[in-house]
Amino acid sequence: MTQESVGVGPTQPLGEAPAPSPRRERKAALLVAPEGLIARHRGSGVMARTAVPAFRTTYGFISHNFPAIIMIGILASVLGVLAQGGPTLMGNQMRNALVLGAIYALIAIGYTMVYGIIELINFAHGDVFTLSGFYAFLIADHFGINKLAASSGFGLLVALVVIFAVSMLLAGITGVLIERVAYRRLRDAPRLAPLITAIGVSFLIEGFMLAFFGPDNVTTHQASWINGNAFTLGAVAVRWTDLFVLGMALVLMFALGAFVTRTRLGKAMRSTAQDRQAALICGININRTIATTFFIGSALAAAGAIIYSINYGSLKWNLGFHVGIIAFTAAVLGGIGNIVGAGIGGFLIGMIYVFGGSLAGGAWSESLIFAILVLILTFRPVGLFGVDVASRS
Amino acid sequence: MNRLLRAFFRPTQKITATGVYTILVIAAAAMVLLGWFLPWFVGPFSEGVGFSPQDAISTAPTGIGTILLYVTGVCMLIVLLSPFVEFTLRARHRALDVRWDMVRAAASVVGLVLTVVVWILVRWINEEPLFGALPNGITTDSAVWLEMYGFGLAAITYGLKRLVLERPNVMFVVGVLPFGVLLPLMFHQAPAFVLWATQSLAIYMLLGLGLNVVVGFAGLLDLGYAAFFAIGGYACASLASPIHGVHISLWMLIFIGAAIAATFGAILGAPTLRLRGDYLAIVTLGFGEIIPDLATNNVFGLTGGPNGISGIDKPVVGSVNFGFNPQWFYWSLLFFSVVVVIMLLNMQRARIGRAWVALREDEVAAAATGINTTTTKLLAFAIGASVSGLAGAFYGAIVSIVSPDDFQFAVSIAVLSIIVLGGIGNISGVILGAFVLTFVIFWALPNLQEWSATLGHTFNVPAISGIDFTRYTFILYGAALIIMMLFRPAGLLPSRARKVELESGIESESLAAVQGRA
Amino acid sequence: MTALLELDSVTKQFGGLLAVSSVSFSIGEREIISMIGPNGAGKTTAFNCVTGLFPLTRGDIRLDGHSLGGLPPHRILRLGIARTFQNIRLFSYMTAVDNVMVGAHWWMKARVWDGALTTPRSRREEHAVEQRALELLDLLGLANYAGNYARELPYGLQRRLEIARALATRPRLLLLDEPAAGLNPQEKNELMALIARLRGEGLTVFLIEHDMRVVMGISDRIVVLDHGEKIAEGSPAEVRENPRVVEAYLGSGASQEMRSA
Repeated sequence: MTQESVGVGPTQPLGEAPAPSPRRERKAALLVAPEGLIARHRGSGVMARTAVPAFRTTYGFISHNFPAIIMIGILASVLGVLAQGGPTLMGNQMRNALVLGAIYALIAIGYTMVYGIIELINFAHGDVFTLSGFYAFLIADHFGINKLAASSGFGLLVALVVIFAVSMLLAGITGVLIERVAYRRLRDAPRLAPLITAIGVSFLIEGFMLAFFGPDNVTTHQASWINGNAFTLGAVAVRWTDLFVLGMALVLMFALGAFVTRTRLGKAMRSTAQDRQAALICGININRTIATTFFIGSALAAAGAIIYSINYGSLKWNLGFHVGIIAFTAAVLGGIGNIVGAGIGGFLIGMIYVFGGSLAGGAWSESLIFAILVLILTFRPVGLFGVDVASRS
Repeated sequence: MNRLLRAFFRPTQKITATGVYTILVIAAAAMVLLGWFLPWFVGPFSEGVGFSPQDAISTAPTGIGTILLYVTGVCMLIVLLSPFVEFTLRARHRALDVRWDMVRAAASVVGLVLTVVVWILVRWINEEPLFGALPNGITTDSAVWLEMYGFGLAAITYGLKRLVLERPNVMFVVGVLPFGVLLPLMFHQAPAFVLWATQSLAIYMLLGLGLNVVVGFAGLLDLGYAAFFAIGGYACASLASPIHGVHISLWMLIFIGAAIAATFGAILGAPTLRLRGDYLAIVTLGFGEIIPDLATNNVFGLTGGPNGISGIDKPVVGSVNFGFNPQWFYWSLLFFSVVVVIMLLNMQRARIGRAWVALREDEVAAAATGINTTTTKLLAFAIGASVSGLAGAFYGAIVSIVSPDDFQFAVSIAVLSIIVLGGIGNISGVILGAFVLTFVIFWALPNLQEWSATLGHTFNVPAISGIDFTRYTFILYGAALIIMMLFRPAGLLPSRARKVELESGIESESLAAVQGRA
Repeated sequence: MTALLELDSVTKQFGGLLAVSSVSFSIGEREIISMIGPNGAGKTTAFNCVTGLFPLTRGDIRLDGHSLGGLPPHRILRLGIARTFQNIRLFSYMTAVDNVMVGAHWWMKARVWDGALTTPRSRREEHAVEQRALELLDLLGLANYAGNYARELPYGLQRRLEIARALATRPRLLLLDEPAAGLNPQEKNELMALIARLRGEGLTVFLIEHDMRVVMGISDRIVVLDHGEKIAEGSPAEVRENPRVVEAYLGSGASQEMRSA
């Protein structure tokens, strides 16, 4: 068929010919608006022409060098603290940062695992952290674990094993339950629906904790479990607690790493995270894999909560909100979905929180973290170790 | 005549939305019930005892009073029970016969007339022979008002059922606006209720309307909306209080507050422009935390630190000092809410509204169709924020102190809950959501505590009297969000598009067409 | 014929993948030009480069001799390049008429406050635009669907609605990405008539199409892409006989189809 045979009748009707309307009879209707055919003046294009590339360059530069900027910032604040208070202060703060970082790392892993597998910011994760802290508190107080821990070294060991095992189990079950009740139905819904639900779950848990434990700080007794200083480094006293916290966090993280890379379930998790449909076709039980993810994430949060209790000796109903956002920042810093990144991000955020706060004044440390969160999501949502989108295109 | 009635009550061909009908019917029944129980509620425990028309009638000796009692009773039962009957039938996919609409409408009218008659007799004529003497000091009119309003609403809803189904939003306004306007008069003997209506209902309704622009129209989930409320509130507080010695009239300030909040809306919105939905939510949450933090840390010495700014001016118009009675604030807020609603409705239908929806539906296609996504998003942020700036200006003037605690994350979530509950993107839904949520959270919960305390005291059950019901606020927010998202994601009153999205079976059809291509 | 759009060694790279590699050609005014090539040849990527959805890696695209480089999509559209999408991208929960009215967004003059206050100017303009949108729907045979949500329309009509939306933007150059996909023969004929008519009214049309009957039937010139490179350009007859094109389409069925078309 050639072009001539098509017929270029200017008013040839299309489709099921609609009844001619009076409007069409009045004037010959045109498909193409004649105004459109004139070459347009570009006047305001100048603005776009200069501003947009300038913006893109600046954005690209910051985005590309974000890891360096963060690292320089951290280094500068460490040096700032060194200049301000000498090696003693710096050493003390470094110890605090590592302890805090270990806790954040444990929580951040939960965020990152869940996000990696179902692309949901599990807003309730921070509150699962607090809730499992309260689990541990109740168990320790009501089953004589506190007395056991105080009795002897062996008693302490047994107490720790029991409290970690039971709390982590309970927290894991809580996490699985939350996923089953609140998130599973919305797995294929628009992304914002499960996010709003997650906020709802967060508030629900906070509400229950507020109702049961009241609005004030609750003193847990785990702070007295581990006493004494292990050694002193210069003028910096390193307590047994600090060593325990760090060691526990690292052991758990390595155990998780081994689980994810070595076991079948771990492989199922990784493949589900990459492509849920493909994983389904390969015969992976998606529901069980996702449930496992929630179980592990929540259990790690429980470990973080017990460590928190041992270290700080108190819990509060809304603790999870701020701790959760800080840990989420850590997860984003490490590249959300990246488990190793979350671990490292946790320690980095610990450093930022402690050293930044030390320099700017403690009242600013949370604002500082939120600012980092905003900056990183704006400039480098893939995190420090992710692929740089700007350089890809 | 019969044919005329039939034409009037003709069943609708196509029921587009039953949401508003359901809400109005339930509201009517609830008001009648409340009118009946309110005196009992208040009566045994505290002062300001009232009467319901039933009480008045039952004091009548015999004869005509008894008949009136029976007649009102029957009318009331019809209004109360017919929603249950109808919804049970609907659940079984059966419709109520059209004749029943006539019966119900007639019963409502009779009930309304009788209530008015009884009220006039008792209150104004105080006709002793017909009714026995009411105890002294019993002058609460709220029960009568509620009952009249309930019957009236029922009469309109059942009588104009077709109109309610076909023009739900118009009828929602017809049903709700008079209640809003008359509220301070109806509850003039319960100042606490009027205060609630002012500082909770009206303020949160404005906030909900503003957030709805961002979340509902433009589809950008903003979790830090309280930040703009804070900015408006602080800006106006510092310009109308002793802290900096500046005293500007509230009527100027609301515009200043709106402008400042809009500016910040655009500034804080800018970093989020390139972000995906959930990251955008988290970034706005970050701002929502940073702003109160700045206020707590008394940045630049502007904000008064953790204690906030106190002693904010109360406006005086002529001889009316707004500080003496919250009803003036209430009416001003209502006026501005109506203005805001009208402007938002206009915008929704106009050029910018289409651009927002287009952006929400498909950002790439919107950009390729000539919509400047940057300015359109920033406009949504700015306009949404400006409404909260207005609310912030009023909030400071009403409570006369603003502090960082007033703008915590919970406020953002309360506003989000309002629009999720009411119906994302639908202005009627936002109004309903604001009423329901603030009624439960800021009126029922604090009062439940008081009531339960009295109850526990009266019946000597200390366990009841000690409950702090306000502690359940967070549980309610959480439950509202979860339940709505899981079971009715479009809200109590869904917007038309979302309704179709939920209820149409079109998806399979268009999918088939797509597959036909392959 | 003066060149309306010029592609000057346009290159687009995704990581290590060279999606479009140094492609140059130009489109004259009131021309109908088709781009063909096997799947994954980079045709849609080229479209996305022209409309500003992807920034170029190298090269330049010029409209009337002015570079489009670095301009955002909405600004490119405002200069007169409208497009449709391969996988239809309508605003599903807007009515058909609203979809078309979105196309008029950029040239409408009502500001935000005009809309908020419904000033006479805004009302007049809204009315005029709505009339124009209805007229376009009418001309495309969609008059009966004006009040329906876009997603409620049958597939073929959705394609037409996308064209109506693009036309509402007052384009000079219309990019159609596989407009005939999923249409039945009758609808394809209508589409060809439509494209011819658009040109008759002064529009330039640039389309990606797989259906050889459509391509051969209406194109003035054809550009052939393979693996991101331009392997041929010329009139339908020339392209049909080009050995590289036949080779690119390896499957003899395709070349058969090209010859018979």
